[in-house]
Amino acid sequence: MKNKLGLIFSVVILLLLVGLIAGDLFFEKPKSQKNIYEYDLDKLRQVDSSLIAYKETTSFKIDGEAVYGLAIGNEDNIYVSGRNKLWIFNPKGELQSSMKVRGDAHCLNVSESGNILLGVGNRVDIRKPDGGLNNSFLVKGKNAYISSLVEKEGIVYVADAGQKIVHEYSVDGKKVKDIGGKNLEKGIRGFVVPSPYFDLMLGRQGELWVVNPGRHALEAYNSKGDLISTWERTSMQVDGFGGCCNPSHVAMLSDGSFVTSEKGLERIKVHLPSGDFKSVVAAPSQFDAGTTGLDLAVDSNDRIVVLDPLRKMVRIFELK
Amino acid sequence: MEKKGKKDRRDFINTCFRFAAGASLVGVTGVLAHKTVSGNTLWQIDTTKCTQCGRCATSCVVTPSAVKCIHVYDMCGYCDLCGGYLRPNVKNITTGAENQLCPTGAIKRKYIEDPFFEYEIIEDLCIGCGKCVKGCGAFGNGSLQLQVSHDLCVNCNQCAIARDCPSDAFSRVPADEPYKFSGFKKEKKG
Repeated sequence: MKNKLGLIFSVVILLLLVGLIAGDLFFEKPKSQKNIYEYDLDKLRQVDSSLIAYKETTSFKIDGEAVYGLAIGNEDNIYVSGRNKLWIFNPKGELQSSMKVRGDAHCLNVSESGNILLGVGNRVDIRKPDGGLNNSFLVKGKNAYISSLVEKEGIVYVADAGQKIVHEYSVDGKKVKDIGGKNLEKGIRGFVVPSPYFDLMLGRQGELWVVNPGRHALEAYNSKGDLISTWERTSMQVDGFGGCCNPSHVAMLSDGSFVTSEKGLERIKVHLPSGDFKSVVAAPSQFDAGTTGLDLAVDSNDRIVVLDPLRKMVRIFELK
Repeated sequence: MEKKGKKDRRDFINTCFRFAAGASLVGVTGVLAHKTVSGNTLWQIDTTKCTQCGRCATSCVVTPSAVKCIHVYDMCGYCDLCGGYLRPNVKNITTGAENQLCPTGAIKRKYIEDPFFEYEIIEDLCIGCGKCVKGCGAFGNGSLQLQVSHDLCVNCNQCAIARDCPSDAFSRVPADEPYKFSGFKKEKKG
């Protein structure tokens, strides 16, 4: 009896031992995933919900390989440019038409006359409202890269992120002048553009607003190219712009407030005409981490239209 | 009577010995060839796969780690508000230690002209934690990148960091192309 118990005890011990060895050999213990050098942006991604004044009311997906630029045209139609293609949607997001374009149009704009302006690398395409090519011209310079463009009364303003300057052309492609080049006597500090996000837009009085992303600033120029207004807000908090170069895109509401989108911290905000922070349109949690190139436009009802290139969607935000 | 074609024990043993000798020769040649080839390769990080998990700082057999942050100057925006230099929630853009992201103060900031600053990595202080790399990639152009510094790496057969790397970013590269930067620059610059 005593021998039998000893034998059972020995077998149990042996089985335990075999089990332990097998566990150690065949089942890998999960390694601690804690990173003691964690770079934590979670706190900055959190936005006080009372600051969010907008809600997403409409969104629709775009059936294309890649999408880059967004604009609002006449009758609040939504224009989206992408890889070799241009789509036109009605304000409800229903596809009206689409057309092939030559190359990847990284930016576009629709003028008051209905002309469609596309920036394709260093080339400006001006298309008639029906899509037919009206004119096309190249921006000179080996580093030229068009990141934004607008047309006003036959003048085309082209933001060149590669050469860090705004070019003024006539619609037929004749160079008129450069705007925003460093001239400290005139109070112009020059554009700082570390990455290819360099946006511009027309203000309510027809003035040209240009983002100076490396300075976290917006600068307004008159038709002579003189600096007439500027504001900047550098901050990693919600009241300003952080990182190397923000805001990446801008648009203007009917009251003159600025709508801004950022990269790094993917968020969309409204700043008062003075530049002070007003409210949040969309918090970082509403975008996929790493989203860049959130192009913006505002329609006649002050709806904020956002192009989400990662999800290949147009997302529309309205006041709560 | 002996059957025709049937080998005797002596022949069988001889044949076995010949096979064993041949196999050994081939094996030894293979091992030597492998050693020669792997002697011409070095461990390196694929910056496109690296997730800056922090294990390069803690898993390397060399102390401090042979993995260092390398600055690809050609890609740098020379930003004032540098995501790789300053802590994310910084209130003042100054060189104060409380504002710096690097846990060992291994990044030196130098004023160039308004608003540009140059950032230099002090290799002796860098522990390869990748915190600055993540900050630079999140807000900037990603000019700070983690690379194995070959003047410090002891080129272990089985790299301890490669074994722990969760994104499989370590691989052997030819010794004549020892760095795998993303961006414009090919040569190492400290």
